[in-house]
Amino acid sequence: MSTWSLLTGDSAELFWPPMIAGLAVAIMCAWLSVFVVLKRLSFIGQGISHAAFGGLGVAAMLGLLNASNASFGLSLWQFIVVLIFCIGSAVLIGQLSRRSSTHADTAIGIILVASMALGAVLLNLAHKKGLASGFSMESVLFGNLLAVAWADAWISLSVAALVVAILVYFRRPLILYAFDEQVAISLGIRTRFMQLLLLTLLAITTVTAMKLAGVILATAMLVLPGAAALVLSDRSRTVIVLSFTFAVIGVAAGLILSFETDWPPGPSIVLSQCGVYTVSRLVSRVSH
Amino acid sequence: MTHVSLSVGRTSAAEFAAAQAAVEYSHVSFAYSADRPPAVENITLRVEVGERLGILGPNGGGKSTLVKLTLGLLEAQTGDIRVFGESPKQARSHRLIGYVPQKSHAELAFPLSARQIVELTLASGQSPLSPLSREGAVAAARALEVVGASEFQDRPIGKLSGGQFQRIAIARAIVMQPKLLLLDEPTVGIDVAGQKQFADLLERLSRELKLTIIVVSHDIRTIAAGCDRVACLARTLHSHGTPQGLTPAVLAEVFRHDMASIFGDLHVDAHSAKSCTDPAHKHGSPT
Repeated sequence: MSTWSLLTGDSAELFWPPMIAGLAVAIMCAWLSVFVVLKRLSFIGQGISHAAFGGLGVAAMLGLLNASNASFGLSLWQFIVVLIFCIGSAVLIGQLSRRSSTHADTAIGIILVASMALGAVLLNLAHKKGLASGFSMESVLFGNLLAVAWADAWISLSVAALVVAILVYFRRPLILYAFDEQVAISLGIRTRFMQLLLLTLLAITTVTAMKLAGVILATAMLVLPGAAALVLSDRSRTVIVLSFTFAVIGVAAGLILSFETDWPPGPSIVLSQCGVYTVSRLVSRVSH
Repeated sequence: MTHVSLSVGRTSAAEFAAAQAAVEYSHVSFAYSADRPPAVENITLRVEVGERLGILGPNGGGKSTLVKLTLGLLEAQTGDIRVFGESPKQARSHRLIGYVPQKSHAELAFPLSARQIVELTLASGQSPLSPLSREGAVAAARALEVVGASEFQDRPIGKLSGGQFQRIAIARAIVMQPKLLLLDEPTVGIDVAGQKQFADLLERLSRELKLTIIVVSHDIRTIAAGCDRVACLARTLHSHGTPQGLTPAVLAEVFRHDMASIFGDLHVDAHSAKSCTDPAHKHGSPT
């Protein structure tokens, strides 16, 4: 299907919801990915996104994944259930990794597989009971353009506005915490709260990105824009502007690729962003 | 809260007299768990206002624990610590302590300039939505000037040398107008010339800002060059006096574990030493 015909024809309804949702996710990722890269949180992001699988299983058992009766309310409840599950997992990872007896990667590994296993069992049960009709495992794992409706686009935009507002409000303590935790403590900054806040924002962004990019690839959007920007600059404003530009280019190009080729949107977005990252590295190498 | 200058005008002479000591440790002991030997034991030490005290000790000798106790990040199980008459936690919340950690704790890939780091620290006490005031920017510039960092203030922190980064870390600490400057292993990764400049800087900070300074280090040169008085810590306080009092006998006593790892014969002594704090030596038997 040609993108141009989608833009201009009656099928524009199919094009704009995922594009708006994708750009909303790009705005959040542009800011957060810088923290994810510098605080080395990409593996935690993986843990949280895989925890979404468990959340989807719970949502399926509650009858919130029935494609036959999709509505704004249902989309919102689905989002809330998965989000609660992911935030719970993020908090659990944070708590476990603060204890000296459990390393962060062990904590993430445990939560990741436990959530995947729970999600697989619950989704299977929901299918057998007819509670998740028209819901495929492939779309859960790699995203589905058709699964993103206008309701999801509005939810994504609202969530993006909220996440950006929180980041602006807490920017100073968050940067000081991420730069040097010990000094942040000595300045009276509540570093545990900052860690929790960052993990919660990661969970919110991951869940928002999930329908579009899928559980497996959602966190790639949280890593690649910031990583590409940091390759090119060590100035804060330039890094934020580049990260924002790369996130938007990656999402827009990925979605257009997905429409043109009929590939799943998650891999298309991630491949586009990997392309942007590769070009950044080449530019960096040439200019130095 | 906006800081306009770096003068030490927050406390009157009468208050200084009432508080008497800048920091006072009274019989302080701390163990991380009941089944481990104390990390620090029965520390009694008085740090005078305006003094530059060096705390010298080997790795594992309790220096970092003492820093955390002074910052109020750990609480002494026995004994008491007073920082300008307040508990360490109160002193920290009142921002009486400027803390300079080891460089290794900072994330140097952060896309921030030296000036931004100092300004961010200053703005951390402000309302989140208000921009840094003009007075704040002036105070940050003054702090950078005091430590001699004006010429590289706009350089990204990842491109600073060890000595330059150390100056920024000190500027970040003094911009909050603390009364006590606490430096943890400040010369790690800095060459000999840089260490000399660092000692000069401490002397200048003490003179110009009337700061009380505590430097914690395992490096004898750092302590000897930049401090008025030295306290030797290897779980317990072994001695305290002037840097000139650091005789070979004193150093051999304080660094016996470090020396034992190089000279095997001393290692035997370390096992039988009463003050042994190294868990690796716990199960060894004297021969």
